[in-house]
Amino acid sequence: MDMNEKPKVEEKVQEVPEVEAQQLPETKEGKLVAEILRKAPYAEGSVRRARRVEFKVPADRIKEFLELTSEKFEMLMQISVVDWIKEGEFELVYQLWSVSESVHAFVRTRVPRENAKLPTVMDIWPVAETYEREAHEFFGIIFEGNPRLGPFILEPREYEKHPLRKDFNTLAYAKTIYGEDFDRYDESKTNYVI
Amino acid sequence: MSEMKNDDFVNYELREFKLFEPLFRWARKKSLWIVAFCTGCGGIEMPPLATARYDFERFGIMPNPAPRMGDLFLITGYVTPKTLKRIIITYEMMQDPKYVLAHGSCPINGGVYWDSYNVVKQLDKYIPVDVAIAGCMPRAEAVMEGIMEIMRKIEDGTADGWKRYKENYEWYKKNQDELFGEGWREKDARRWLAWI
Ligand code: SF4
Repeated sequence: MDMNEKPKVEEKVQEVPEVEAQQLPETKEGKLVAEILRKAPYAEGSVRRARRVEFKVPADRIKEFLELTSEKFEMLMQISVVDWIKEGEFELVYQLWSVSESVHAFVRTRVPRENAKLPTVMDIWPVAETYEREAHEFFGIIFEGNPRLGPFILEPREYEKHPLRKDFNTLAYAKTIYGEDFDRYDESKTNYVI
Repeated sequence: MSEMKNDDFVNYELREFKLFEPLFRWARKKSLWIVAFCTGCGGIEMPPLATARYDFERFGIMPNPAPRMGDLFLITGYVTPKTLKRIIITYEMMQDPKYVLAHGSCPINGGVYWDSYNVVKQLDKYIPVDVAIAGCMPRAEAVMEGIMEIMRKIEDGTADGWKRYKENYEWYKKNQDELFGEGWREKDARRWLAWI
C-alpha cells in the first residue's frame, strides 16, 4: 500500500509550482512585475506577497536589468550573498525598495564560486560601493569597476580567508588564533564553555 | 635616584602614603569616574543605569569622556581584536589606580560567540579584569551589584589590576603580540595617536 501511495504524492508536488509561477495577480505588484518583464524578457518574475516581489536574472545581464528596474525602484537597500556550496555557486540578492510604489524587490542572480565576478552597480546607486566592499571582503566576490575593493572591516589575516564562505572552518581558525583554552567539545578542560 | 625603576616608584609611593591609604581608598571608592567605551550589546544597560531608575550618580559615579580622568573602565560586552587594540591603548592612557569591570559572558569566555573568528575569548589574557559580571546580558541590577563589588574591593585593596598589569607586563604583552602580531603599536596605534 505504502509503495503505491508514494508516487502519487510526488506527482502532486511537481504539478503545483508550475501553475503558481506563471500567474501574476491583478494587484499593483503584479502589474509592476509584468511591466518590467515586458522590457526584460530574459528575467523571471513573481509576486511573493503584498509589497514583496522577486526576480531571477542571469548574471551576465544583471547590470542591464538593474538599470532598467532603477526607474521604478529608486533605492538599493542591501546586497546580500548566499553561499550555495553544493552547487558551487554564490547567489547575490539585490534588495531594492520602490519609494514611489512602496514595494520591496529581491533581484536574485547566481555566479560560479570560483573567481566570482560581477559588474559594479555604483553608477546606478552610489551607495552600492559599501555593500560591494562588504560582499567582497566576506565572500571574495570581485566587482569590476569598484575602485575601493580591499580590506575594509576585517583584520588582514581574516580578509585573506573570506570568513563567511561555507568552507571556512571557524572553529579551527578560532583555536589557532585565540588558543585552545576554550574547547567546547573537550570536557576535561578546566575552562569548559557552555 | 636615577636608577629607580617603575616598580620601585610604585613601592615608594605606597610606602610614603601608607598612613593616608585608608582615606584615599575610601575617597576613590566614592568617586568612580567611568570611561565610556561601550563595546557590545551590554552597553545598552548603561542608559537605565544612568537615568532616574537606578541613577548611579548618587554613588558618585560619573560617565566621563576622557581616559586621562577616568578610573573605572567598563568593557560592556564582546571584544573583537580591532576593538581590543583600542581598549589596550585606552587602558594604558588611564591614570593609576584604574579598575576594569567586564560585563557579560563574552569577555569571560566568548559567550555565544565561543567559536567565532573575530571575538576575543578571554579578555583577562590581554588586560587585567578586576570584576566580571556573568550573564547575557546582565541586567542593570547585576551591573549595580558589580559596581558595589568593585567598591568593596577598592576599600580592602584587592582591586589591584593596575598593579598586576605593571608586574606582569611581559606576560600581557606576549599575549597581545601573539594576537596582533609584533609591532602592532607602531603600525596601528600610531595612526590614531601620533604621540605613541
Ligand atoms: S554577553 Fe550577551 S549581551 Fe553581553 S555582549 Fe555577549 S552576547 Fe551581548
